[in-house]
Amino acid sequence: MGDPAPGGGAGSDERTTAGRGAAVAGEPLLAVVDVSVAFGGVQALAGVSLAVAAGEAVGLVGPNGAGKTTLFECISGRLRPDNGRVRFAGSDLAGVPAHRRSRLGIARTFQRVEVFPELTPVEHVLVAARARQGGAMLWRDLVRRGTPRPDEVEQARAIVGMVGLAEAADVPVAALGLGHTRLVELARALASSPRLLLADEPSSGLDTTETSVIATLLRRIQRERGVAVLLVEHDLALVRRAVDRVVVLDSGHVIADGSFGQVVADPAVRRAYLGRSA
Amino acid sequence: MNSLLNYAIPGVPYGCEFALMAVGLVLTYRATGVFNLAFGAQAFLSAFVYDLVQRSDGMPQWVALVVSVGLLAPALGLVLDRLLYRRIPQASTTAKVVVSIGVLIAIPELVPMVFSATTRTRLGHLWLPSGRVYVHLAQTPVTGAVISTVVISVGVVAVLAAMLRWSGFGLRMRAVVESRRMAQLEGIASTRVAATAWVLSSVLAGLAGVLLLPQMGSLDPTQPLEFTALLVAGMTAAAAAGLTSLPGAFVAGVAIGVLETVVQQELPSGSVVAQGLIPALPFVLLVGALLVNPRLRTLGRDTDPLASVDPPPPQPAVTTRDARLALPMRWGFRLLVVAFLVSSLTWVSDTWVFPFGQGLAFSVIFLSITLVTGMGGQLSLCQATFAGIGAFTTGQLAAHFGLPVLLGALAGAALAAAVGAGVALVVARVSGLLLTLVTLAFALFADSVLFQFSWSGGGLAGVTVPRPQLGPVSFAGDRAFLLLAFVVLVACAGIVVAVQRGATGRMLAALRGSPAGAAAVGIDPARARVTIFALSGAMAGVGGALYGSIQGPVSPADFQYVVSLAFVLVVVTTGSRTVEGAVQAGMAYAVIAQALTYVPTRFSGIELILFAAGALTYAAHPEGIVEYQRSVWLERANGLLRAHDRYRQERGGKVGRSRHGDGGYGGRHGAVPGAPAAAEVVGRG
Ligand SMILES: Nc1ncnc2c1ncn2[C@@H]1O[C@H](COP(=O)(O)OP(=O)(O)OP(=O)(O)O)[C@@H](O)[C@H]1O
Ligand SMILES: [Mg+2]
Repeated sequence: MGDPAPGGGAGSDERTTAGRGAAVAGEPLLAVVDVSVAFGGVQALAGVSLAVAAGEAVGLVGPNGAGKTTLFECISGRLRPDNGRVRFAGSDLAGVPAHRRSRLGIARTFQRVEVFPELTPVEHVLVAARARQGGAMLWRDLVRRGTPRPDEVEQARAIVGMVGLAEAADVPVAALGLGHTRLVELARALASSPRLLLADEPSSGLDTTETSVIATLLRRIQRERGVAVLLVEHDLALVRRAVDRVVVLDSGHVIADGSFGQVVADPAVRRAYLGRSA
Repeated sequence: MNSLLNYAIPGVPYGCEFALMAVGLVLTYRATGVFNLAFGAQAFLSAFVYDLVQRSDGMPQWVALVVSVGLLAPALGLVLDRLLYRRIPQASTTAKVVVSIGVLIAIPELVPMVFSATTRTRLGHLWLPSGRVYVHLAQTPVTGAVISTVVISVGVVAVLAAMLRWSGFGLRMRAVVESRRMAQLEGIASTRVAATAWVLSSVLAGLAGVLLLPQMGSLDPTQPLEFTALLVAGMTAAAAAGLTSLPGAFVAGVAIGVLETVVQQELPSGSVVAQGLIPALPFVLLVGALLVNPRLRTLGRDTDPLASVDPPPPQPAVTTRDARLALPMRWGFRLLVVAFLVSSLTWVSDTWVFPFGQGLAFSVIFLSITLVTGMGGQLSLCQATFAGIGAFTTGQLAAHFGLPVLLGALAGAALAAAVGAGVALVVARVSGLLLTLVTLAFALFADSVLFQFSWSGGGLAGVTVPRPQLGPVSFAGDRAFLLLAFVVLVACAGIVVAVQRGATGRMLAALRGSPAGAAAVGIDPARARVTIFALSGAMAGVGGALYGSIQGPVSPADFQYVVSLAFVLVVVTTGSRTVEGAVQAGMAYAVIAQALTYVPTRFSGIELILFAAGALTYAAHPEGIVEYQRSVWLERANGLLRAHDRYRQERGGKVGRSRHGDGGYGGRHGAVPGAPAAAEVVGRG
């Protein structure tokens, strides 16, 4: 799989270079600063800070209800934090709606899959690639009578092939199993040539072979495409394979941050996990 | 201050009726997720029967009240629950609204079939004689109507509130409101709670109807629509209360009633603006409330924390059809079209050529519903308004500037597109139920204000849209016009298909499938909605111009809000997701109407009742019943072909290549080149 072509037109390249240029030297790609979120009486996030450098793979683990998904929602713009800031590539994301964040280079997958049932995997990628270029152009559909450009289709097929869905490339996603839909979400995320991928439990509900595919894929996405990955995962074996650094969240607090080995040995982490199940 | 009170007091009874409606709406919405657009029709039915009974000699008021509000209303509530809403607990909010539109349209059509259709005046009243003055408040005479309305509605709502607060039913009700699924897990029979909510809400509707009687000058069987228009203020109040708070809904209802009267008194009487403002005010208020209170934007989303445990709502059927069927079907379809054209141009009698032409015009209008509802996933209740804009613009430009009709139609389409985009833009962040309500309110606004000027709707005479003329070719004859309408329809259908297959169609499919997923890939939902509303407005505008041109004179009544509702019913019955669905709807709508000219007028309502019944199945088959039947037949044909293949294999003859994707993976062609062409997926949006 060669260079997976970060997108068609010159416009997209412009965006990427402009975005990269805006990054302040020394500042991480993603900086979450002191973010808090409360749902009624539940303090889901209590002053969480973490940073992800460009091209880095970071794991985010923690017991159920720790606030991992809530943090993702704050980063991707579906939720507005009560307090704190989210900075991406050197600029503050406050007030930037979810779809604009995606165009800035933040892609994500969902814990409960959010695919488009009527569309095929290739169409998922086409939609995402077009959206990044600023959305569908009505007149273009009318002139071309609805057919996508051959180069667009080719690129889409390449991405679908990369995640291993070549066989199911033209099947409406409604007809696919959970394992495949998780791969579709990954393909769709890649289609927007992101700089940061937020993956929320990509292995939940999958068997071991499927999990292993996902682990390899995440590593390849990071290594070959230089995409920073923030991975939420309960499967620690997968975390160990896919990331360089692990952040542990418990009841809305960051309780550990370090290499996989360090974190697993940390007594506070052990307490957080065992205290729950004991 | 005093003068303000003078204005405010007459508004209080209206306010109380709006409040009753708002409370009733919130009640069923919270318990069953149904935003009951038919509330006004229910109110009408009770009012009608109350007046009927009370009119019979020597019947005391209380007998009439017991019959209309004590028996009829709860029975109607139970019937609605049992026959309709209980069967679709999992359906989307939109599907439930469509079902309630079916009820709203069916009731006024049914009434004249049951009761004689005479107009009655000097209507009955409840409790105190409505005209008599009892006291003076700040020098304002307070009439019996005011006192009875206020006392009765406040009393009833207070009893209801106490019941919800302290009784066991109230507790169960609150549990169901919090989380229908959780309540079910706890062993609370949520169906029983839902039934009770329907009964209570229906009683509130009946009461509101009876209390409205003294304010109506006369009563005839078509009036449910007038009731509904009046009670749109109640819908606004319910929405302003976030569809959650009963006291909030009550207060908002009273406030709107008072505001309406005050505003009306402040304006110079007799002007169009003054007369139109009362029906239009809810629209203004609703939009205002949306702009002021961003929390309202998420109205109608399922807030149940356990919503994710539901089985997903029915997906439109994705049918694979054997590749061997594609060719015969395509040619069959072409043959049908040619046969239709040739017949209409030659031997079909004049009586039928005209409705055929109408059908083609309707088909164009209905394609606009395919765009906005089938593809955009938004239920719009102002498509007839857009059509009206197209027709009136064409007619006025032709009359005043001599602009050729075809150019005028383009101008009308452009204007309708602009208005469509404007409606979507004003409430850019809003989707779902609230957007539907805004479109309904806009349709009423157009009915009562926009179309009331002589330069727009043409006043009493209406607007005449001439038949087009293209150089030496005149389309004045019905047959020539039919040909023109056919060409326009084909062009419009081509546009819809191109959009459907193209990037815009994929983007809309993404938004329908998962708004969260769509935002995550960078799709701007507001922009998508504005685009599709503009395109849909343009198409409705063209269709409206065609319709106007075939009719000759058209008036605002042709494009009333209730026409929009009927349009929606017709299209969802045949299928809102495909071009075929729209065309079938258009032809059926015109042809059935023509066929019914042969039966007594008393039964001419059958057509709409038919479509209302069709729409009731929308929740189960969102692709439309005709579309659903088609997929059933396709399945059968596929099955026959498969059986044939097996037979050939067993006979040991040449093994027929199994060319259908029975392994679950079928490809499809069309949108994406390079797909395996063994079988194709049809019937997708
Ligand atoms: N929309 C919401 N409304 C109310 N409470 C919520 C909402 N979303 C999350 N919570 C609560 O916030 C807390 C954090 O939830 P979150 O989903 O972020 O946890 P998580 O770490 O992703 O857990 P899991 O591993 O189970 O996915 C939980 O207590 C949860 O119940
Ligand atoms: Mg989670």
